Amino acid sequence: MSTDGQAGVVAVDLAIPVKADLVVLARLTAATVAARAGFGVEDIEDLRLAVEELCLSLVRTDDDGRLNFAFEYVPDAITVKCCFEPQPGWDGAASGVVDDLSLRILDALVDEHGREQRDGKLCAWLRKRRAPSTV
Amino acid sequence: MRLAAQAAGALDGVMAADEGRTASEDTKELFTELARTRDPALRDRLATAHLGLAYQLARRYTNRGEPYEDLVQVASLAIVKSVDRFDPERGVEFTTFATRTVIGELKRHFRDKGWAVRAPRRVQELYLELGKMAESLSQELGRSPTVPELASATDATEEAVLEALEAGQGYRTASIDATDRNDETLASHIGDEDLTMGTVEDRQLLAPAMARLAPREQTILQLRFGQGLTQSEIAARVGISQMHVSRLLAASLERLRKSVGTAEEG
Repeated sequence: MSTDGQAGVVAVDLAIPVKADLVVLARLTAATVAARAGFGVEDIEDLRLAVEELCLSLVRTDDDGRLNFAFEYVPDAITVKCCFEPQPGWDGAASGVVDDLSLRILDALVDEHGREQRDGKLCAWLRKRRAPSTV
Repeated sequence: MRLAAQAAGALDGVMAADEGRTASEDTKELFTELARTRDPALRDRLATAHLGLAYQLARRYTNRGEPYEDLVQVASLAIVKSVDRFDPERGVEFTTFATRTVIGELKRHFRDKGWAVRAPRRVQELYLELGKMAESLSQELGRSPTVPELASATDATEEAVLEALEAGQGYRTASIDATDRNDETLASHIGDEDLTMGTVEDRQLLAPAMARLAPREQTILQLRFGQGLTQSEIAARVGISQMHVSRLLAASLERLRKSVGTAEEG
């Protein structure tokens, strides 16, 4: 891990229970990493909304488990990955369907986003580039 | 909600023009025609056809202290703005462009008005200062300022700036609570009690009753319970005596109680 955004990758991991009032931690982490990376406040606001939307796109209303976030800043871009780690016995049949509005909102807020299954876990990610005119 | 249904119906009407084409192609064609003709009727038709998106996005960002109806209004105006500004030749879907515009307008609206969280006074004050400073720096720099720049300009720490931005946006569990999948919310299914939920429910219940109060009473209640000012501070700000503030608060609260009681019974 490096703390110099120009020289390498800044990586921060965060794990939270699926609790709505703890999503603030993910938003704040994203905002802090983005601030350290020199993003403008408009972009940081977008990133906050996008992180929240990323959670919404992953977790169903009755899911129980943990959300594992990985925030990475590489020069000029931030990547946020989020994987849902369900409690044992979780029935994933209802999960994995993302509503159009979430996708549309993510389209509007970030440069790239996607979803994937990783080690049997449902993951979603987004990437936002720093505005070219920002220092 | 009737308007949303009308909008959806209009969208179907627009998109079903030719079964062999995609909705996206139809939309692009209509926007190309609008760019060529500037036909007001077509402009209205396109705006109406996409009002459903305004309703969806407004619902997504409810529970942040602003009435849903206000958010719908902001989002709907943003749709009209999007129709006027959309360039079909840029290769972006209208819905993506419009979503970006609507979210931008909603963010601006919350920045100006949103106080869903009863943040500490120092945080509120810093947030207000940041809003002004961000605007001035944006003009000066020709871009959105960074957090270090804002911190330096307001003589605050970067952490304090981040805290104020978080609180100032009225964030809490808002959009997760507002998700409309199966009309259920994530929060409603999370085992532990969310201590802030009562506040949100109260706010939703209070909003219509608040709207019926006189503007000055609304202001005083907002200053007292929204911003946490003392009666003396409110008196100084509004330009009346502390005793008068006290009487107005008592009377307003009594009216709210009656109004909410009636609503609950109904």
